[in-house]
Amino acid sequence: MLGAVGLTMTYGLSAFPNFAHAEFITLGAFIGYFVAEQLGLGLPVAFIVAFLVSGIVAFLCYRGVFQPLAKRGATIIHLMVASIALGFILRHSIGAAWGWPPLYFTTRWPAFDLGAIRVTELWLWIIFTAMAVAFVMHLILTRTKIGKAIRATSSNPELALASGINIDRVIWITWFVGGGLAAIAGIFRAADTQIWPMTGWDIILPMFAVVILGGIGNFYGAIVAALIVGLAENIGVVGLAALGLSTTYRMAIPFLILIITLIIKPQGLAMLFRRA
Amino acid sequence: MGLYFLDFVVFVGIFGIIALSLNLEFGFAGLANFGKVAFFLIGAYTYALLSQIGIPFAICLIVGALISALFGLVVALPTLRLRLDYLAISVLAFGEILRLIVKSERWIAGGDWGMSVAPIFPWTGSELIYRLENIGLVFVCLLICFVVAQLLANSPYGRVVRAIREDEIAAEALGKDRAKYKAQIFMLGSAMAGLAGGLFAQYLQYVVPGMFMPMVTFTVWIMVLLGGPANNWGALLGAGLVELFDRGANIAKDYLVLPVDPSSLQYILFGALIIFVLLYRPQGLLKESPIKTKALELVRHGKGIVNTKASK
Repeated sequence: MLGAVGLTMTYGLSAFPNFAHAEFITLGAFIGYFVAEQLGLGLPVAFIVAFLVSGIVAFLCYRGVFQPLAKRGATIIHLMVASIALGFILRHSIGAAWGWPPLYFTTRWPAFDLGAIRVTELWLWIIFTAMAVAFVMHLILTRTKIGKAIRATSSNPELALASGINIDRVIWITWFVGGGLAAIAGIFRAADTQIWPMTGWDIILPMFAVVILGGIGNFYGAIVAALIVGLAENIGVVGLAALGLSTTYRMAIPFLILIITLIIKPQGLAMLFRRA
Repeated sequence: MGLYFLDFVVFVGIFGIIALSLNLEFGFAGLANFGKVAFFLIGAYTYALLSQIGIPFAICLIVGALISALFGLVVALPTLRLRLDYLAISVLAFGEILRLIVKSERWIAGGDWGMSVAPIFPWTGSELIYRLENIGLVFVCLLICFVVAQLLANSPYGRVVRAIREDEIAAEALGKDRAKYKAQIFMLGSAMAGLAGGLFAQYLQYVVPGMFMPMVTFTVWIMVLLGGPANNWGALLGAGLVELFDRGANIAKDYLVLPVDPSSLQYILFGALIIFVLLYRPQGLLKESPIKTKALELVRHGKGIVNTKASK
């Protein structure tokens, strides 16, 4: 969810799907790993550094590549191709720097049983952070000036410009925050499973399903959609196991949701949150 | 070295076909197919499975292309009336899932280990002859695809497709069913990619899921963007150049000592190349070919007559 929120915001604001978002996640995870494990500074510092680094990289990507392209009148396809190209550059730079074999965080999370389910403390932290981020983002989007400006730019850039909003700055800030949130998602993902240069790519497609189900650029839609996709995936895995199919098909479940959304209601859940 | 060069020629031919198909979809019709590799995979696996039960190769190739086209239609249908990015995302996801399926289902085609494919041409004991035969086959297919693409580009049909790319609403207002045209082009493009997949499987004599990474799609995109979208010669030029670069990098790897892992560096360079092309030469090396039609020639010719008459 954390990753999808950043993705939906930059998608909504810049009107193209940024495939390099996957690499912001991966980068965040590796920076987090570097700070927490290789420098031994602990996880809290890792989160802050990763947030800043990924945010800055996301900003630079937009400022250095996407903005000049958009200014030259590139179509949405060109922007998508550029984002894939950037993704390749970042992913393989990461691969060259840290290597391809998977790495693991050494932190052991105490686990306890909750009824029949085994829960690790890490999961609680993930849930807590996701809710906290959702709440803080909600406050920023509704209560602050920059939040208003972000929403205005997202729904109508020309009108926002005409009302004296510095659109460029708004978009830069959004990319920064989007990249930062991706980094946090990346660290959690890495701590929960493993970390390698494909970390982000592995989860980008479910994230796109979330973004489209939630309605592109719709923050609240993305949160609800993340819950739906996450639940569907886990229920689906149980179903797949019952049917005797390989659980690698869990990837197909978000895809199915994506296709169904496109057929029935391409604007996604956004209709439920018209005012958002 | 000579053999290596022939191998290179075969690859250029096969990728030339895919580049042509993407050029039809992206260059002429403006469709973003980020799952090209999916149709390549369908063609290759169909070929592999059918040839195994002893069906003649021409039928295997054609059936592979047809099945690819069918899948193309099914995948594209829900998204054709929507914005372009939906198509891109769903086709990309489709490709990834397809690869996962052939990877995890061992009964289809050997799962992760893939399966071997019987060659068309009887083994004559010479690698040289084998490759020359393949070059012949691949380039006949390439020629057919090229002629089809070229005829299409210069036909009234091609003009409608370009019109849809430029302005969907205007084309619709003129009574052109844009979803129908897009679906047709997408099917044709998928069929060509399927054909290329069949040739690929046949040439290499095996298929494994690892051949069909998203990188293949991206490579084809570089070919089209570099060579020049909406220009069939450009697509071929791009296929040649990118393949050349790829081979060159592979050879250079053995001679250069670099601080970075050379295979990573190659991807990084690919990425950088594409961004430079997009930034500084978005029209590619060759510009969009002007439409050649009888009507246009007549108009020009007619003008000439009018002018000479006027001067008299």
